[in-house]
Amino acid sequence: MELLRQIFAGASTLLTGMRVTLEHFMRPPVTSEYPRERLEMSEAYRNVIVLIEKDDIKSHDCIACSACERVCPSFCIKLDGARPEGLKRMRVTEFTVDFALCSECGLCLDVCPTDTLGYSRSYDEAGFNRSDFLYDLVEPWRAEEETTVERLRKVENEKAEAKKLAAAKKAAAASEKAADPAEEKDA
Amino acid sequence: MQNSIEVVAEDRDTYYMNMGPQHPSTHGVLRLKLHLEGETILSAEPFIGYGHRAHEKMAENRDYLQFLPNTSRVDYLSGMIYNLAYCQAVEKMMAIEVPERAEYIRIIAAELNRISSHLLWMGTFLLDLGGITPFLYGFDDREKILDILDSITGSRLTYCYGRFGGVTMDVDEIFVAKTAEFCEYFRGRLDDFQRLVIGNVIFQERTKGVGVFDPELIQHYALSGPCLRAMGFARDVRKDEPYGIYERFDFEVQLGQRGDCFDRSTVRMGEMQQSLDIIEQALKELPDGPIMAAKVPKRIRPPEGDHHFAVESARGRFQHYIVSDGSDIPVRHKLSTPSFVNISTMPQVMPGTMLADAVAILGSIDIVVPEIDR
Amino acid sequence: MVHNLTQILGNPLLALAAAIAAIMGYLTVNAMMLIWLERKFSARIQRRLGPTEHGPFGLLQSVADMGKLLSKELLTPDHVHKPLYLLAPVLVFSPVIALCSLFPISESWVFHDFNIALVLLLAISNVTIVGIFFAGWGSNNKYALLGAVRSVAQNISYEIPLILSVIPIVLMTRSLSLYQISAAQDVFPFILVQPLAALIFLIAATAETNRAPFDIPEAESELIAGFHTEYSGMRFALFFFAEYSNMVIVCALAAVLFLGGWHGPLLPGWLWFMIKVYGLIILMMWFRWTFPRLRFDQLMSFAWIVLVPLSILNLLLTIVVIKLI
Repeated sequence: MELLRQIFAGASTLLTGMRVTLEHFMRPPVTSEYPRERLEMSEAYRNVIVLIEKDDIKSHDCIACSACERVCPSFCIKLDGARPEGLKRMRVTEFTVDFALCSECGLCLDVCPTDTLGYSRSYDEAGFNRSDFLYDLVEPWRAEEETTVERLRKVENEKAEAKKLAAAKKAAAASEKAADPAEEKDA
Repeated sequence: MQNSIEVVAEDRDTYYMNMGPQHPSTHGVLRLKLHLEGETILSAEPFIGYGHRAHEKMAENRDYLQFLPNTSRVDYLSGMIYNLAYCQAVEKMMAIEVPERAEYIRIIAAELNRISSHLLWMGTFLLDLGGITPFLYGFDDREKILDILDSITGSRLTYCYGRFGGVTMDVDEIFVAKTAEFCEYFRGRLDDFQRLVIGNVIFQERTKGVGVFDPELIQHYALSGPCLRAMGFARDVRKDEPYGIYERFDFEVQLGQRGDCFDRSTVRMGEMQQSLDIIEQALKELPDGPIMAAKVPKRIRPPEGDHHFAVESARGRFQHYIVSDGSDIPVRHKLSTPSFVNISTMPQVMPGTMLADAVAILGSIDIVVPEIDR
Repeated sequence: MVHNLTQILGNPLLALAAAIAAIMGYLTVNAMMLIWLERKFSARIQRRLGPTEHGPFGLLQSVADMGKLLSKELLTPDHVHKPLYLLAPVLVFSPVIALCSLFPISESWVFHDFNIALVLLLAISNVTIVGIFFAGWGSNNKYALLGAVRSVAQNISYEIPLILSVIPIVLMTRSLSLYQISAAQDVFPFILVQPLAALIFLIAATAETNRAPFDIPEAESELIAGFHTEYSGMRFALFFFAEYSNMVIVCALAAVLFLGGWHGPLLPGWLWFMIKVYGLIILMMWFRWTFPRLRFDQLMSFAWIVLVPLSILNLLLTIVVIKLI
């Protein structure tokens, strides 16, 4: 008798299980057929780092300080920079990231002093050699580098002019102040 | 998938067999050398080291900030928990105060990670036993969790989300709404899993009374996590050595009775339920504010001496043990992982069981081999 | 009026050849269809898509798989016992052809109406067990041998409830001919009066064909790869075919014995037969993708402790009821 009761109880659990799979059979599949359908990546998605445009400069703002190169745990960044003629800021000339080594930790983004590093959102990077993954981050900006440096030079000159003017005004005001009490004293 | 065997000449009734490094059921590269007589196991010896990646050596060559990406890769299934554990360890060493909002976000992310780890365990355990469908259902739910975590961290499996003093990215209203929606949806799924998996008579026959952990084992092995709780001992790092803000949350420690595979399974299913409760509480109480501490030292130079910090990962008690000499590179950084202890118990637990049970036992203790080999 | 192939074609040998060709053709197409059906059905249960690339709805996927298996090298390992190793796939697959000829597909179409068809069926189907054992022994491989031993033990154990659950039907119709048994169900199918026998038959049939939850002999995630470890290419394909063809045979037997064969309103007889057979096959597939595997000793104890007493009980009840009526 006990055996029969056990058999019934066991059989009913099996039927419940079959019911669960039947319920799932009725639901639509959750597959998205890549590569015909592509999923949208979230906004925070991390892929290889890129230099992003800063609004006030209309170009990237990498000053080749090598902070990212020093902090990278995988040693995958190689930087080189130079100071263009007449410009106080440095501009990066070579920025190679070996994406095969990058672990996308985001530490380089954290230490960048000008906040000019960001993530790209593409996710189907594929290549046939290791060398396919040596990304040159300055490449997209090279064409405009001349005009950017021109613009930056102008901005720096204007700032220098404004500073000189402000300094001259201050000196004039200070000398006026010095002259006035002297006159009063005289009188 | 051929496994090599050597027949022992003097003993004609017994034979050695490798559950070799490549095997569908060993959850990674693990070698179990079994001494069998017919179908009964006489002895089982695990050989580890196939997945050694020298994390502890890497820690000795990098400073504290540079070690962050390594932490997730030690146990990639509880990557968030391990990452946040390291951040909390350094914060404890350097006495950095973490803002409230960051603490709550950490708890939500860690508990979501715990649920996803248990879902994967359930899928692979059932896969070993022969029921292929719950694996797919578990992964469907896991996709939802991974999408949620992707929206704040940018990664799906190995996160580098925590920083010393807080977290990297803030959460917004959409995240809160999606997580609350997931919690509600997942309670129904737990019901489904109960009907399909735990209540199934075949599953119960395969797991009840199989792989019983003798209470005497705790004299010799530092067991922790679901394996210990299934034996009836209420030990949970979140309750015994609370870290973060876990004292503010109301959850129960799930216990079993006999310490067999079935109890370990029910403990883990119960833990998923408790994690849902914790997440819902945290979502309700999430305060506004900054997510990074105001003053974080630029160079992490911990005081000289030994420091340790333990958390409850999905598999048990995970501890960071850092020996520092005052410079920015640690002298020794030891990662004490729970799977290492759990696999060490196999020579005591497996003898006397049948071959088919060996697969069930290995699946139920939930090992992640990279965590054993580091 | 039963059509007779020999009368139509004139020559009995020609009729034999035609019958074999027709059955082989049907089995090949059937195996491909069943593989496709299994993949699609399991995919839908698991909320994914299954094959979609080759052909509409992935229908040509089995053709592609067949092409791959045909093009594989027929490796014969050195250490095998050649006669047994080479004979095994033949022994596993050929009874299936013979068995397919026993079924009455519709009221007027049956290859040959044996008056002991049922006994023939149960007897010939046991030749496959010998084939499986030859495969395991001849492979000279410990794992294949263990898998074969398990399979033989399982098949033999589940034969008994299978036969015991079929005997009540024989008692009711007083005939061993499958055609007569089908014809006797014109008023109601026998499942209504013998539900327990039908259930036991279904379970025993699932075990006979080594399908989950009784698929220990070919368990994919256990240590032993099963009795067909040492086989590759077309020889493995023969084992695979034999398994799917066996499924059709046991489901056809269930349809004939319990579900009424070709009877049914509106649609032609052969269509109803096909619907019943494939409906039962889908049920067997449903079992496979829902339940985990039974351990081997639990499998055996289930047969001997649960199924055999129940089927004997059912048999006794039937005898009593028939005597009273």
